[in-house]
Amino acid sequence: MSISRAPLMNLVRLKGTPILEQLHLEERLLRASTDNWCIVNDGTNVPTIVMGMSGKPSQLLEVGPVIKDRIPVIKRFTGGGTVIVDKSTLFVSLICNKDDVPSVQPYPRSVMAWSGSLYGEVFEGVDGFQLRENDYVFGDRKFGGNAQSIIRNRWIHHTSFLWDYNVRNMAYLKLPSKVPQYRLERDHTEFVCRMKDYIERSDFVEKTVKAVGNQFAMKEVNLEDIDSYAKGEHVKSTRLLTMEELQEAMASTAQSA
Amino acid sequence: MIARRIWRSHRFLRPFSSSSVCAPPLLAPYHSQSFASPKSRPFLVPCLSLMKWCEGGGGSRSWFSNEAMSIDSDAGGGFIDVPLAQTGEGIAECELLKWFVKEGDPVEEFQPLCEVQSDKATIEITSRFKGKVALISHAPGDIIKVGETLVKLAVEDSHDALLVSSDTPGNVEPICSQPKLDTLVGALSTPAVRTLAKDLGIDINLVTGSGKDGRVLKEDVLQFSGQKQNVTDSAPSDNPFIRGDSVSTSFEDQIVPLRGFNRAMVKTMTMATKVPHFHFVEEINCDALVKLKHFFKEHNTDSTVKHTFLPTLIKSLSMALTKYPYVNGCFNEESLEIILKGSHNIGVAMATEHGLVVPNIKNVQSLSLLEITREMSRLQHLATNNKLSPEDVTGGTITLSNIGAIGGKFGSPLLNLPEVAIIALGRIEKVPKFKEDGSVYPASTMMVRI
Repeated sequence: MSISRAPLMNLVRLKGTPILEQLHLEERLLRASTDNWCIVNDGTNVPTIVMGMSGKPSQLLEVGPVIKDRIPVIKRFTGGGTVIVDKSTLFVSLICNKDDVPSVQPYPRSVMAWSGSLYGEVFEGVDGFQLRENDYVFGDRKFGGNAQSIIRNRWIHHTSFLWDYNVRNMAYLKLPSKVPQYRLERDHTEFVCRMKDYIERSDFVEKTVKAVGNQFAMKEVNLEDIDSYAKGEHVKSTRLLTMEELQEAMASTAQSA
Repeated sequence: MIARRIWRSHRFLRPFSSSSVCAPPLLAPYHSQSFASPKSRPFLVPCLSLMKWCEGGGGSRSWFSNEAMSIDSDAGGGFIDVPLAQTGEGIAECELLKWFVKEGDPVEEFQPLCEVQSDKATIEITSRFKGKVALISHAPGDIIKVGETLVKLAVEDSHDALLVSSDTPGNVEPICSQPKLDTLVGALSTPAVRTLAKDLGIDINLVTGSGKDGRVLKEDVLQFSGQKQNVTDSAPSDNPFIRGDSVSTSFEDQIVPLRGFNRAMVKTMTMATKVPHFHFVEEINCDALVKLKHFFKEHNTDSTVKHTFLPTLIKSLSMALTKYPYVNGCFNEESLEIILKGSHNIGVAMATEHGLVVPNIKNVQSLSLLEITREMSRLQHLATNNKLSPEDVTGGTITLSNIGAIGGKFGSPLLNLPEVAIIALGRIEKVPKFKEDGSVYPASTMMVRI
């Protein structure tokens, strides 16, 4: 009788890594590696806006203030919505071979159901945690979203967790046209909440690693050693928007106003 | 019989994930590698083709099926429509982000063709077959409905493309004899025109295009549907395009999507109707209440406070709840338990221009009348401006619905789940009453429905 062993998951712990660098790394690992990866980044260096793959700045951002305050805007390779992240944000990304997670079908709802139950373990005992529509919430206040990319045999699910946030930063984001039903037309400050009100930072990180460890055999990998895991060229979709693009967006907003 | 059953089940399943049906597949149908695993792929795909061929129709292609595939030629090679397959329950459309191939490119099996985005995920769509890109139907930025063709591939080996295996019933035969190349490639048209044709139930490939390069235009589709209507004596359709020559545009239906509170309200009220309701109606003599309100008004020192009946009624309710705690309970359907709530968090239904909302006043048992009045005023103000916080609208233990405020005698309220009681208050009216000796006296009364 053979004993089935848990599949291997490489764990990369980062701290304060710029989100653009983190996203480049994730895209590289998704496309050019065949291993499973869990990346945890404890905060990013500067406040940065991160939009989903098809995000349009004129629709999602208050472009004027963004340009004036020189906030970097990134378009990431996964779908989903727009966030503004900073040093207090916690990032957790999971890249998996679909065959290593056989209970998960490679489409969004299935991936979300799996991640929802994984974080359910992390937040066990914390009142009100659930995956609601596509968001991680306490009660009906969102503290983390959901973004994925699904390619042939692999998928990535990553989240930026709102540990704490600066209300002023939220002002750079417009109310998106597509919102979950439970949002009920609340604006940002009444719709989101701070994770720090519910769990200790180190607690969250360790419990997340432990929850992932319940399904995978974890191995810590240093950033310097990544090259040996991901070789060859790959499509690079994640990028920083140029000033020209932002100015164009502002012009188009002004036209349609 | 079987085909009909399958058709029915297909129509039921169409908007939902294909993983809900399991049956042995007849032959592995076309599917994108990135989507549901083989065992969740139902047999409705091959059976759909079975149906299509049973119909005996000429190239009526199904644009709706999860992984519909059509073969237009039984000669050595063939063309395959690659549709946007189901990406998950309820996802009806995706945005096309980019192509990895262009027309004329060779493709290998499992080679990525394009990337699409649904709400939360970017998804790569890979080719099931080896072949060549014949026709790209959409441009980046287009919104594509599930089931619509993304790209047409020319495959060399017809065995690859053949959908149904040889052990299916004998009425399966490729129908098209010798299609011309332009028919094979399919009608040239924009996605909007294709959608119109689909809505009208028309196979766009049967429509003669009057546009450039034989492009099918909107007018062509409309004209075709008009001809079809004349020829076939079909049941009257309620599609306005087909109804007669001149369509009146001045009395059109207007679709109002429900949003916000209204949307939430529909859902919660629908759930409430599933609960058995018991109604009790009584008339309450409110003379004393009227006097009290008058007294407060006369002796009001704070101009920001406006005195109404409601705070007193709220406080009275709280005092009654102290005597009858079961009425201040919450029912847990799963465990069949009633939780007797310690706090009296009395909800007050408010009609705002954004919809019906029920904020509640917390811990009424510990509040004075003045405190209740102030809190009511605060909640009313927030509700009117659509600024209620989740804290304000959750945690209620019983609800008051003040129908009287808008002028009714009677209301028939629905429970605000998971509460177990709701009280509708009618308007306070002065009515004549009879004493024992037959003389008439006025009384202020209020109809109350619990």
